[in-house]
Amino acid sequence: MIPPAPTPDHDRPRGAAGSAGERAGSGAGDAGAAGTLPVRTEALTKIYHDDGRGEVRAVDRVDLTCRRGEILGLLGANGAGKTTALRMLSTVLQPTGGRAWVMGHEVREEPERVRERLGFYSASTALYPKITPRETLRFFARVNRYPAERVEARVEELIDRFGIGDFADSRVEKLSSGMKQKVSIARTVAHDPPVLIFDEPTVALDVLNAIELRGIIGGLRDEGKAILFSTHIMSEAEQLCDRIAIIHQGKILATGTLDELREATGLHYLEEIFVHYAGVRDTDEATLEQMQPAEEAEGG
Amino acid sequence: MDLRQIGTLYAHEMRSALRERNIVIFSIIVPIVMYPAMLWALFAGMSFVQGQADRLDSRVVLIGLPAEHQPIADSLASHDRVEVVTWDDGPAAARDAVARGRLDALLEARPPDADDAPLAGNLRFELSFNEARDRSATARSRVEQAVGAHRDAWVERERRALGVGDTLWADFAIARRDLTTPDDSARFILGLIVPFLMLITVAIAAFYPAIDATAGERERSTWETLMTVAAPRSSVAAAKYLYVATFGAAGGLLNLAALALSMRWILEPLAGSAAGELAGGGIPLASIPIIGLGTALLGLFVAAGMLVFAVFARTFKEGQSMITPFYLLIILPAIFLQSPDIELTPLMAAIPVANVALLIREAIAGTAPPLAIAITLVSMTFFVALAVTFAQWVMRREEVLLGSAGGGLGGFLRRQFGSNGRKA
Repeated sequence: MIPPAPTPDHDRPRGAAGSAGERAGSGAGDAGAAGTLPVRTEALTKIYHDDGRGEVRAVDRVDLTCRRGEILGLLGANGAGKTTALRMLSTVLQPTGGRAWVMGHEVREEPERVRERLGFYSASTALYPKITPRETLRFFARVNRYPAERVEARVEELIDRFGIGDFADSRVEKLSSGMKQKVSIARTVAHDPPVLIFDEPTVALDVLNAIELRGIIGGLRDEGKAILFSTHIMSEAEQLCDRIAIIHQGKILATGTLDELREATGLHYLEEIFVHYAGVRDTDEATLEQMQPAEEAEGG
Repeated sequence: MDLRQIGTLYAHEMRSALRERNIVIFSIIVPIVMYPAMLWALFAGMSFVQGQADRLDSRVVLIGLPAEHQPIADSLASHDRVEVVTWDDGPAAARDAVARGRLDALLEARPPDADDAPLAGNLRFELSFNEARDRSATARSRVEQAVGAHRDAWVERERRALGVGDTLWADFAIARRDLTTPDDSARFILGLIVPFLMLITVAIAAFYPAIDATAGERERSTWETLMTVAAPRSSVAAAKYLYVATFGAAGGLLNLAALALSMRWILEPLAGSAAGELAGGGIPLASIPIIGLGTALLGLFVAAGMLVFAVFARTFKEGQSMITPFYLLIILPAIFLQSPDIELTPLMAAIPVANVALLIREAIAGTAPPLAIAITLVSMTFFVALAVTFAQWVMRREEVLLGSAGGGLGGFLRRQFGSNGRKA
């Protein structure tokens, strides 16, 4: 399952691309047609020094790939290393070992090019409260180098697509959480990136909003986006992800489709599969509790 | 660095900030309204206190006053606010009463020293009062005036009796000629006030934007959103820096404009009818570009310094406590600069912040030396560049980006350059 080594940058010159996706390499740009995977990591490692605990291996030699039109689920308990791994991919954090490429661009060598081809959404990526959704989309499209002459058209397209029109000119601070969620997703894809990262996106949402968000993410997959989706909720991973990587204590323990994982373990439910790989049959209740579906955990 | 991206980020920061009530109040409204109003209140308060002192009643005891010098008693008795108290308990008890506040002043007439004896009627006065009490201080002043007027009349009479003519007597007189123009007075006052207010205003105007640009982003959970945009970290830092510096410099310049326009109104309670003349040429037009440049440099320097301190904060409260030491540090020179004897020498011109404060004072006085101006500009540019470079370096550190560098700037530097040199 080790993917081929990434080829050098296959980007077309900026402005020569026919669509925003091609501009950033999501179509037949620098990834798909050339054989380079949109996302690939090789022994990606992050070690922290903690005064109390000493050396902490938050992410330990992680190998991952994500293809075009695929949702790769990163499934693990809280503290397993999901967020750290995704933060390294989005260049918020610097790896201490290994390498990672997004659309053929190495995260340490070309962080701006990586971020240009990436949309990052998490519970900790909030919106600016004092500006309007329209201003938000315009800002993120521009700052992420979407072609200036097409920004306004792109903003209108996103407003239309995500049903933001009624509140596009109200300040974000005045919006409901559902409205904010729509704006937040539109913000993530404002520059039409070929790779999207959703880090525990449903963790703070109610059931209906979570379902709607999963629907939107599925739609983005169908458009050909390569999507990394981290969660600790088993049912979410089962419903949404094409492949699942089980991460525990910073290490990837298994990667495959749900069927492949079932076949490899002889177990049916993802929860059982997770426990099998993580070797936490005897683990404490708190860890198992984290694995409950959102609806159950919220009493829904 | 992509200037277009910096422009986009800067415009975004400014748009958000101009919709933030606290920032608008402290960086725009306060410099325009608050400081001129505060100055007016200060001067009006001083006038009020002076007026109150004039209305204080004085209880004065006179002991041993010869009949020859009775005009002193008459003068005091004729004063609306003076009561000459009859006292029979002796001077020691009177002094005690003054010390305890039961009396306000005691004037004792004593025999003259041997050298003064030949002048008939000469004597020594001893005035006891309690300077810690306004009422006693006012009584002292009134008694001194009465004694001084009587003394002048008595000396005049005696010198005539001794045959000392007007011509000879005039040789001992001192003719005072004050060459100060109303403009000079206004500039002197402005030279003391404006640098002080400028430092405070720039610091306050940059204070909230610096916290908003750093801790504010973390508190709103927008920091990570910003860290994932395709702009280099240096561009993000540059935009934030420009945003804070804009507010700092704008606050200072707005304050300057407000003070210039309101000076007549501010000084009126203190200077009375002369205020009109004072305000006429308070700030020379030629000095305004220098003051503006100095204020802009101050804004750039203060912005960089505040960002360096604030970038470690995770909350607004933390930001406030982390910036406050720097805030006090830059206000400190203004306190020493209240002494008119400190001048903008080449050495002083090399000291950041203090040099700008002195430059503004000298510019208002119209005496700013070109060499010192040049040194000030070079020095401030150097320190601004140093502070900006340091701020950018700090803001690119991973632990700072993530807000995990607890302990502020000091803790961060210890971890970076401490004996173990270990990075968090």
